[in-house]
Amino acid sequence: MHTPVLQESLEELVERCTQAVETPGFAEAEAWKREVPGRALAGCFPVYSPVELFHAAGMLPVGLAGGGNRMEIAHADSRFQSFVCSIVKSTLEQGMTGVLSSFDALIFHSICDPARNLASVYARNFPDQKVEYIHFPQNLGAPEATGYLAREYERVVVSMSELTGRAVSFDDVRASISIYNQVRSVIRDLYAIRSDTPHLLKTRELYPLVRYGHLVPPERHLEVLLRARAMILAREGRPKDRIRALLAGSFCEQPPLDLIAAIEDAGCYLVDDDFLQGRRWFTRDVDAEADDPYYALADAYANRSVPCAVKHDIRTSKADALVERARAHRADAVIVLCAKFCEPALFEYPLYRKALQAAALPHIALEFEEKMWVFDRIKTEIETFVESLLFS
Amino acid sequence: MRYFSGVDVGSTQTKCVIIDERREIVARALIDTGANIIRAGDRGFAAALDAATISRESVVCVAGTGYGRFKVSFGDLQITEITCHAKGACLLFPGTTTVIDMGGQDAKAISVHNGEVADFVMNDKCAAGTGRFLSTAAEALDLQLDEIGEISLRARNPVRLSTVCTVFVESDIMSYVAQGKKIEDILGGIHSAIAARTIALARRVGLKPEYTFTGGVSRNVGMVNMLEEKLGHHLNVCADSHYMGAIGAALFAREHAQAALAG
Amino acid sequence: MADLQYQGHLHTLQKELMAEYYASLTASAEGSGVPAAYLLIGGNPVELLRAFDILPVFPEVNALQLAVRKQSLPHIQAAEFMGYSSDNCAYVKADIGMYFAGRKTPFATIPEPTLLLCNYVGCNVYLDWFGHLSEYTGRPAFQLDIPFIRTRSGTPSRDDIVYVLRQLERLVELCEEITGKRLDWDRLREAVRLSSETGALWSKIKHLTKSAPAPYDAYFDSVTMMAPLYCLRGTPQGLRFFETAYAELAEKAAAGVGPLETERFRYVIEGPPPWPHLRTFRDMFSRWNAVAVASTYSTVGGLWEFGFVHDPDHPLESIARHLLEWNLTNRNFLQRYAQIERYLEEWNASALVIHSVKSCRLFSAGQGDMREYFTNRGIPTLLVESDLEDPRYFSEAQMRNRIDAFFESVGHRTAVQGAGS
Repeated sequence: MHTPVLQESLEELVERCTQAVETPGFAEAEAWKREVPGRALAGCFPVYSPVELFHAAGMLPVGLAGGGNRMEIAHADSRFQSFVCSIVKSTLEQGMTGVLSSFDALIFHSICDPARNLASVYARNFPDQKVEYIHFPQNLGAPEATGYLAREYERVVVSMSELTGRAVSFDDVRASISIYNQVRSVIRDLYAIRSDTPHLLKTRELYPLVRYGHLVPPERHLEVLLRARAMILAREGRPKDRIRALLAGSFCEQPPLDLIAAIEDAGCYLVDDDFLQGRRWFTRDVDAEADDPYYALADAYANRSVPCAVKHDIRTSKADALVERARAHRADAVIVLCAKFCEPALFEYPLYRKALQAAALPHIALEFEEKMWVFDRIKTEIETFVESLLFS
Repeated sequence: MRYFSGVDVGSTQTKCVIIDERREIVARALIDTGANIIRAGDRGFAAALDAATISRESVVCVAGTGYGRFKVSFGDLQITEITCHAKGACLLFPGTTTVIDMGGQDAKAISVHNGEVADFVMNDKCAAGTGRFLSTAAEALDLQLDEIGEISLRARNPVRLSTVCTVFVESDIMSYVAQGKKIEDILGGIHSAIAARTIALARRVGLKPEYTFTGGVSRNVGMVNMLEEKLGHHLNVCADSHYMGAIGAALFAREHAQAALAG
Repeated sequence: MADLQYQGHLHTLQKELMAEYYASLTASAEGSGVPAAYLLIGGNPVELLRAFDILPVFPEVNALQLAVRKQSLPHIQAAEFMGYSSDNCAYVKADIGMYFAGRKTPFATIPEPTLLLCNYVGCNVYLDWFGHLSEYTGRPAFQLDIPFIRTRSGTPSRDDIVYVLRQLERLVELCEEITGKRLDWDRLREAVRLSSETGALWSKIKHLTKSAPAPYDAYFDSVTMMAPLYCLRGTPQGLRFFETAYAELAEKAAAGVGPLETERFRYVIEGPPPWPHLRTFRDMFSRWNAVAVASTYSTVGGLWEFGFVHDPDHPLESIARHLLEWNLTNRNFLQRYAQIERYLEEWNASALVIHSVKSCRLFSAGQGDMREYFTNRGIPTLLVESDLEDPRYFSEAQMRNRIDAFFESVGHRTAVQGAGS
């Protein structure tokens, strides 16, 4: 799929990205690695990963997003118990079945306890792959946090340089920030288009376009996004009588595409969501000209990133931020869709519920697993919820 | 003649076996455990004595096993069913290396070395992969538990379950029924999912043939078939597989009595 | 089976001292004017609070006390009614349920926090827990961010230490603000000195179980000593408790007396205990004459037995090192494997029992891999599952069955190995 088909329609482009996203394995990234000797792949566990660092080190940062619903977990559940979320197990399962064998490094982050232990378990089982664990400060707003994170980033870059044998300059990092800024900027545009005119861009279409970036170099992703944007802007149509819903909670493990489609088919326009939050982490561009680009990235993390259950910032209330976000997107309702056993997401819910009730915003709370295959029950629940809003 | 008995008081059924000095099985009894677990052991033992037409006094030693092993008030010793299943399996199939036991509440994999337990694992809190999961499925389809295995063998396009959670499987099944899927294909999917989970469990003690399949679910031909298919290997199963815990207990009772005699 | 007795002098003294501690909490709740700071057990920096006469309150200790006294379930259910999931940590749920039930417990009335000191030491749930408490109480939370041990060396970097020191300095400023007092460095050094002596005694106590028979159970009796280790560390009473405990246990070791009549199995145990069913759980091991000679759980608050001591000459830096390096929770999972290996070898244990608790995924997530690792090394390893707080998650029959089968099998193996040697 390297050569874009001439005059490919938006539907065809979306289908192409869907295929790439749903096909197990990392064929395009592996092909990229084979093109030039010395190239390396970094597998980045969710939620947010500072992809610029790996890109600057000459690596392709590949987004790990679990095993989807086509993979059977046969080995990893002997290592992680039944009360641990699926993505932790499916990531290890991918390792144990050789799906991740072309990766040179695996990157985990301080997002939750199972992911933390997964970093260790993965390192033990795959001693030939480099495993890095990035500590994100959990005292954002504290004066020493940003500088600390900048040094943490430098540590990781040095570690990657050892792997690739390539020294990384400030300019390398600035260039990487610049290309990812462009990608994030187009994604922000697409999200805005969907919120303004959800009848012109379904989430079932937007999602694979964004997630395609998990699998390919940012330059290639940018080109796809730009073409998609041009075609979306040329679309015409009239809005239907549907409720505008904001979907919160699925920031790490990802629901199957069919579940996203089922939610929309149940009568919702999804006007904002938490899917793949790490790919659009910053509220505006990171300073690509900064004297210290590590500091610029760290500063953007600490001060200009989206609220997320795995990021702790006592300056703001995540529940209030959710209500504000729902209002900004003129949402009629909120769907809280948590991955089963995802403790960070589940911990948000009581505070979300309190704030949403206080703001008189109707909501429904649901759980999913990436390996779900049958959606009738969850679809019925959403349909009932939508009916209750339309007829009230 | 001196006799020895093993009484396996399980969560759903109570099994009792009587053996003689040459380790020959002279009687078996199978009853539902019911609500009164203390009576279950008594009733099972009495039924086995009737079947053997021997007196209570001629049984010189009784071993209790299963969840209710401490409730076998007339028992001389108590041993877990893990140890007993391994023991019984090695009597009936001396080449046994791995025992797969699927009972009402538990699924177990036991690795056996020289007739003794070398390692074992059991399902975690989640009841997936146990007999309970199958009875939930049978109930959802309005079928008898003992007919679903046979029906599953007719599956041509087994469905994929999205969960092995006992609580949620019912809604999966209902969805498939509503979609007009064939009963045998639904059952094929259920058996496949449980077999996969059981093999994942057995992998933790190392998948080494010979395999001996024990416990109540070993009577389900669909499960035997599915496990063999997924393991790519033959499973030892016989009519007495269901009684394996009680057989093992009876063997321990015999050893205990002989040691007492010698001591 | 005869009713087993496990009590000694140290148990009686513990009850007395903890009753005094809880009385001070109740007094604070009822307006004694003594400020209270909530903090977490992992690597707790209690010495800093001592220097300001701030009462340390450990929500984890309160939650486990509720569980031991079979009072946790209504609070857990109240929290679930508020929207907390059945899959959320039950310590948090019991604590929040208790908070909204008026902070009254059978052992104390828990004061409102003056400060929520969230020492983030690896456990991500800590952050949510104290974030929620801050929301409910309206009190400020201080997020003390401790970088996780994540490099091959297994030790914190200079950057990590400086980073934590900067935060501790800000914490000092905050405590000065709250109490209206300047930090008295002599008092801080004194608290750190008391801690260093307490820690040294605790370490000696830990090493006593190398004797056979072990003079106490390093799981079920260690937990008795852990409450004073956190709630009283850095005070003269805390030191007195550990002097008494050491004297009593050293005497037992010298006399060859253990907690059970005979010691048949020596095992290492990993994971927190099932507090709501502690006694039942203990009896399951006792009836096999099995004694825990070491436990990882007793090192969550600090890992003294491998050489750590607080340094009164460098009080803040030693508090920083304690938070960063010298506690179980901030160490990575593979460091825990190494810790268990040391216990197995140096404490001469022949089996490993992993008690996997659903509430605490920091402890439990991945313990199947740990089982695999030790099984492959020929160590008989049992993994059992329940919970540390939620009484509904404990199945007595299943638990007993697994433990019995395990010791049946280990007993056989030991017999065979014994016959062969």
